[in-house]
Amino acid sequence: MTEIKTIKDIPEEDFLTGGHSACKGCPGTLGLKLALRVLGKNTIVVNASGCLTLLALYPHTPLRVPWIHNAIENAGATATGIYRAYKRKKRDVNILCYDGDGATYDIGLQSLSGACERMDKFVYICYNNEAYGNTGMQKSSASPYGAKTSTTPPGKENPIGKTSQRKDMEAIMAAHEGTYVATASLAFPVDYARKVQKAKEHDGPSFIDLQAPCPTGWAFDPSKTIEVARAAVMTGVWPLFEIENGKTTLNVKLGKLKPVEEYLNMQTRFKHLSKKETENIQESVNKKWEKLLKDSGE
Amino acid sequence: MNKTLLTGNEAGAWGGRLARADVIPAFPITPQTELIEAMAQWIADGEMDTEYVQMESEHSVMSAAIGAEASGARVFTATSSQGLLLMEEMMYIASGMRLPIVMVNVSRGLSSPITLWADQNDVLAQRDAGWLQYHCMNNQEVLDTVIQAYKIAENKKVLLPVIINMDGFVLSYTREPTQVPEQKEVDRFLPKYEPTHAVLDPEKPESMGIVVLGEYMRFREQHHLAAENAQKVTKDVEKEFAKRFGRKYSAVEWYGDRDADNVLVTTNSMSTSAIAAVGKNQAVMRIRMLRPFPVKEISKMLEGARNVGVVDRDVAPGEGGIIYPEIRSALFDSRKKPRICSYIAGLGGRPVSKQHFEHMFKKVTKPKDEWIY
Repeated sequence: MTEIKTIKDIPEEDFLTGGHSACKGCPGTLGLKLALRVLGKNTIVVNASGCLTLLALYPHTPLRVPWIHNAIENAGATATGIYRAYKRKKRDVNILCYDGDGATYDIGLQSLSGACERMDKFVYICYNNEAYGNTGMQKSSASPYGAKTSTTPPGKENPIGKTSQRKDMEAIMAAHEGTYVATASLAFPVDYARKVQKAKEHDGPSFIDLQAPCPTGWAFDPSKTIEVARAAVMTGVWPLFEIENGKTTLNVKLGKLKPVEEYLNMQTRFKHLSKKETENIQESVNKKWEKLLKDSGE
Repeated sequence: MNKTLLTGNEAGAWGGRLARADVIPAFPITPQTELIEAMAQWIADGEMDTEYVQMESEHSVMSAAIGAEASGARVFTATSSQGLLLMEEMMYIASGMRLPIVMVNVSRGLSSPITLWADQNDVLAQRDAGWLQYHCMNNQEVLDTVIQAYKIAENKKVLLPVIINMDGFVLSYTREPTQVPEQKEVDRFLPKYEPTHAVLDPEKPESMGIVVLGEYMRFREQHHLAAENAQKVTKDVEKEFAKRFGRKYSAVEWYGDRDADNVLVTTNSMSTSAIAAVGKNQAVMRIRMLRPFPVKEISKMLEGARNVGVVDRDVAPGEGGIIYPEIRSALFDSRKKPRICSYIAGLGGRPVSKQHFEHMFKKVTKPKDEWIY
């Protein structure tokens, strides 16, 4: 396959068909559709329990590639099993783990870490809507500071909502030598597709953290999924970068960050925050951005 | 081939080796460690060709076993005690997906308090997980049953995973003279695994482990019927095995006078001490196949007895021995019911000697539940 440089380089054959049961404007299905276009027919998908587990509903499936849902906390280990079985058969196959942030950052972290340490070859994409979407938006360790979730509701005693920062998953994954690590955004499909292709060709495990703005959970109009995703990148809330062999590369360079309000105000998750708390978030974004610039030598 | 001295762990490892398992996900736990170490050494020495992978937990062992078996590989693994419990969630998923994984469990009592020694509370906690269970009395039986297990599990009328159980230490770390069958003999008995019902293959895409709505109950019924089918399939496999290898096994085994009035029901390694204690008008009935439960054989064998004691090396607090009510239930339709009582013995590896069984044989003439110390 030629290197993906423009939208025209992305193959057009789809392996996720229409007519499935996901919500309108679902970022998870958009990300899956695009990933499967790049990975192609010779792919097996490992799904951890989450929203997209509902795609295949007996006796129907919108998937034109093999799909296994095993449980929530074990996509990494399941990938190991498939990888080893195919290695034994001396047959190449792409293994795509396509799992939510709860299954990745929280309950499945051990299993994913184990598979990376073993250097099993698979592409792991976390479709990250920053909460447990399928069960009604409970907080995960990917939920950002200040987010209102159904288990971190703001109230009189706690006006903030979630009081801790999200887990730095990219740093954790980069600590696994030999693992290709990247962030991605649906507003930058060429960058995302290029990273999926890179992951496919990488001789070892790959981890792509795909931010997945969720119209149902974050309460914005389903037609705005891409706009919200773009705002996350342009404000520096969700910077796009990749880490290979300890080297960080910034993929979307921004002269000046847009104010975080432009992103926060598009959704209801942060509506309750005071001006001071919004400033705290801005400060934290600035600090992380500065560090990223330094790490990437920009 | 002459007999060699093998521990239970080595016998289990030989079973997996001779069955030519394609993928072996493993995680160490006492008293199973020697089993996976033996395999690792064979691979390092070039004596065994397989895809062996050490996982980071038992939960991941079973998850990888499912991934590999679902990709068409023959899978072997082994665990014990806490490890088996950590796998529990995946046990149900493996059997529900109808994946004929074979696993050795080296029985060890459950924490807390901690014990490293044998009892069957670990494996009996998986009684209803939809796996078949065969409980072994000696190391030869462990080796033979692993080979038989693949043939039963992979039978198209069954397609269910299997646990082969042996007691920790008593078998796992004890050497016994064991016959290791020739590879070519095993190959003739056990052909290559070629699944058609559940395979992750891009050439023939299917979705596994998916959501069902009203049909869930139909799937469970099919699962139950498949386990029931294993009654007959096990018999056939044991018969063929006996013909080829000269060693006979059956779901329920009887030791002693066929018309004995006084019978003790046992499982696993303590059966050997029980058999040694058998005297006049006495017999031991050993349950080898625990799932599917051989109700007909049990009721038929026990019908003529006057007094029966069921010896459980396990306890369900608030209920008593776990196997005891199953035996009672098996006798419900018998025309001539024996008197029956429960003995609980040997928990956490507490020795159950010939003298203990002589004591039980003496007491069973007036059946009364008792904890045997």
